[in-house]
Amino acid sequence: MDDMREMTVEELGVLCSNLQKACTKQQRAEEAQLFAELASYYQNREERRTNQDFSQLLQKINADLSQAYNRANEKAKSASDRGAMRSLVWGEKVSKLLKGLLVRYEKQKNGLFENNNVYVCEICGFVYVGDTKPKICPICKVPSFKIHPIQKEAL
Amino acid sequence: MHAARNIALCTKDCVCLFICPTGATDTENGQIDFAKCLDGCRLCVDACPSHAIYLVPSVYPEPQPKSEAVRKELFALAKSKVEQKALAKDLLQASNDPSFRQLLNALATSNHILAEDCYREAGFMLPQSETVKNWLQSLFVEHQDDQNFPKDVVAKLLQLL
Repeated sequence: MDDMREMTVEELGVLCSNLQKACTKQQRAEEAQLFAELASYYQNREERRTNQDFSQLLQKINADLSQAYNRANEKAKSASDRGAMRSLVWGEKVSKLLKGLLVRYEKQKNGLFENNNVYVCEICGFVYVGDTKPKICPICKVPSFKIHPIQKEAL
Repeated sequence: MHAARNIALCTKDCVCLFICPTGATDTENGQIDFAKCLDGCRLCVDACPSHAIYLVPSVYPEPQPKSEAVRKELFALAKSKVEQKALAKDLLQASNDPSFRQLLNALATSNHILAEDCYREAGFMLPQSETVKNWLQSLFVEHQDDQNFPKDVVAKLLQLL
């Protein structure tokens, strides 16, 4: 577990928000609040970089899909870790979908969003671009009240 | 173990109000008053006609052990998802285009959820687990030079978990 010392503030913030959600699911409001405070300590230390290139997103997702998921699936199978396999099945499906979205955006640009809403499933990260959100999430099968709209902010 | 109400399932038949010996089910915020609820009583759980009440455990077993190889791969995937989230947030700060910002917000949110799920299956599912407690403990040393690190928050968590 020595590699945990090398985790970035971004990674630590996400780790804390995961534990915050777990406490909420256990109806432990006080612990959830404390993990939220720890998560914001890390989030406040994040530094935004300028001049980033949008195409890096597609590069990273391609690397995940061509290498990382295959390797992880292999290890999860040989350890008979069905929990990890579940996470990898959902994650790979969502990643393929995000890749499709990035490719479509590069072709259609803002036309992609013209008469469409955008939704994200809070459980698995499934993204839906369309008129009405599905009744159940096609990836994790959670009912639609856990699929939330991403607003178009007026600036 | 105390009872909790899933308000989305509750059909307001009020049987839990009739059966509760302490009045814990009758509250203004829709949730059961955990302080009044009797440990393991479950009268309301069995009486509820819409199955909207369940028992929340107070003690959890130690999770199944994780293989080091699986943990490493899931940490690597989480790192990649976190990097994609950070990239989306960097681009978000630089853009004024509402549609592009909507896409970036969706990407940041989705990648955040993907990374959380990797950590969950890499041994960080249960807040009460030894893995989480050991990690929390290690933060005192890790951040000993940082005045702003919320030591009291971590100490309180270790006390409560």
